[in-house]
Amino acid sequence: MEAADEIEDQADEQICDSFVCCVCLDLLYKPIVLACGHVSCFWCVHRCMNGLRESHCPICRHPYHHFPTICQMLHFLLLKMYPVTYKRRGTQTLEYEKSIDCFSPEIKDPVHATSDSEKSNHQGDAGQLSPTDAREPSSSLSSLREGQAAANMEEQRFPPSFECVCLNQLKENSSGGLEVTNSDAAEEKLKSGKDNGAQVRVSIADMLCVACIQLLYRPVVLNCGHVFCETCISIPADEKLRCHVCQSLHPNGIPKVCLELHHFLEIQFPTEYELRRNTIKQVDSQQEAPHIESNKQRDHLSFTPEENFSPPWGDHNVHVHFGVGCDFCGMFPIIGNRYRCKDCVEAIGFDLCGDCYNTRSKLPGRFNQQHTPEHSFEVVGSNSIRRTILRLIMGQVEDGAAAPNIPEIDLENPENAIHPADDNVEVDGGNESVSFLISTSNPQEQSDEQSPPM
Amino acid sequence: MVDIARVQKELQECNKDKDSSGISVKLKGGNSLTHLVGSIPGPLATPYEGGTFLIDIVIPDGYPFEPPKMQFVTRVWHPNISSQSGAICLDILKKEWSPALTIKTALVSIQALLSAPEPDDPQDAVVAQQYLKDYQTFANTARYWTEAYAKSSSVGIEEKVRRLVEMGFPEVMAKDALDAVGGDENAALEKLCS
Repeated sequence: MEAADEIEDQADEQICDSFVCCVCLDLLYKPIVLACGHVSCFWCVHRCMNGLRESHCPICRHPYHHFPTICQMLHFLLLKMYPVTYKRRGTQTLEYEKSIDCFSPEIKDPVHATSDSEKSNHQGDAGQLSPTDAREPSSSLSSLREGQAAANMEEQRFPPSFECVCLNQLKENSSGGLEVTNSDAAEEKLKSGKDNGAQVRVSIADMLCVACIQLLYRPVVLNCGHVFCETCISIPADEKLRCHVCQSLHPNGIPKVCLELHHFLEIQFPTEYELRRNTIKQVDSQQEAPHIESNKQRDHLSFTPEENFSPPWGDHNVHVHFGVGCDFCGMFPIIGNRYRCKDCVEAIGFDLCGDCYNTRSKLPGRFNQQHTPEHSFEVVGSNSIRRTILRLIMGQVEDGAAAPNIPEIDLENPENAIHPADDNVEVDGGNESVSFLISTSNPQEQSDEQSPPM
Repeated sequence: MVDIARVQKELQECNKDKDSSGISVKLKGGNSLTHLVGSIPGPLATPYEGGTFLIDIVIPDGYPFEPPKMQFVTRVWHPNISSQSGAICLDILKKEWSPALTIKTALVSIQALLSAPEPDDPQDAVVAQQYLKDYQTFANTARYWTEAYAKSSSVGIEEKVRRLVEMGFPEVMAKDALDAVGGDENAALEKLCS
């Protein structure tokens, strides 16, 4: 069955190398773009993360500390380009999710993309919504409405230009005057071959910056999954980078350009991309100062500098919640106060870091938990005994082979009372550390239940 | 739970360009994708030139989030490879492993390790000492081991040793004799009888 599917895939869809996940070596599914610009699947990123300390990009080893949200624009792009393969990946992933009883966020696709208006609808959904709305299944109706509203807006602003753009691009494809690499050439050929068929093609409307509503130029993806042109992002005076769309805070300064997407745009829309490049260059040369300034900004800005992320378990003033992540900003492991939802029934639980608890709406979790604002929270202190034991184990692990992916340290967390201070919880620390020891000493089990709560 | 699909893809990819790279990976036998044998050519302009080195690869359950376990099957004289067990001292096979690396890239790294030994971080202290103190002897020994164990003519040396042992010679002597004559069974027999 699967083999048959694969044969069909290979015949129909030649996956461009840019969209192959570096971890599973398959088509990206529910893609996440890290701050260094490298892309991987939702579960691949999650499984690569380290529940005990900062994680590193599998490709460039760039350290990061927040599990980013799925990039919906890229998700819909891939769904459109490779519908068959993407669907197969969806089924595959769902099987895996069922086996671990933990699910990735649902992304609602309001309408099937077949016409231009619907295409912009996609964009509306991908770009204009806050990720929380789009993630919450129960709010899908409202997200649909918002998406359509956004789409209407876009249509008014850009009436017939999308179609022209596509036609231009087609002409160029057929004239064959483009310099492209082998895989890209195959892809281009494939695309023009598909035009008469039922397959939809990618248009500029799928790839707009949510700030300037133009074709993305040197795209960067924020922690919330929204995509901007590099030039559309600036750091305000208070030095906190917030997403223009969902207002969520982006940690660690301006992310790097997603080069895979950049190259894809260059090849997909050569004339338009060149146009954008020239316009931006002109603006730059007219006002050179801001550009330099922004570079300077980029250099000095860092909210959680790497060097500050020294192993925090050595510091008795800092609480680190090993293996537990914040469901809003994605911080993993949570450092500082941890707020746990008392009403979520999912095994993975629902947690927030102190900042998110105090400032942001507490909407659905990273793993499709059915969390609602009516749920109540409790503060969970970190446990000093567990911390000591972890420190010991980490010492061994450092010398050992693999970085451990410690799952579910806190799943059977017996701490139900509020523990404002870390030292008060020494008593009930014992059985937890035991369960932790068991789970590390059995790597089989460990990899089977890969689901540290986020 | 090994990611079978990924291992299959890696095998296909790796064997696609095995003629140009010289690096190949095969199943160890049976249909299990968790036990493989890799083969790398000794790098040119090193004492390992001309040899073909076999590496035993075990794919752990956590792969690709855990590194594959690799060790030399072919005996090799190298500061970072145990002359006894074939264990390899290489950071990317230990804590520097990243899921974006593959079996192929690991084998390429091992090949690179053969051409650039790191005697300051040794696996085999004896070899490392020799490498630092008396490079010429090291190079000669390494070249000799390549001749003796990593050349196709030396494949089956175990078989020859077994036959000599069956004739009644102690295993150590049989091995030494075979080493001394470059793997020729008859010459070794003559040497043992003399």
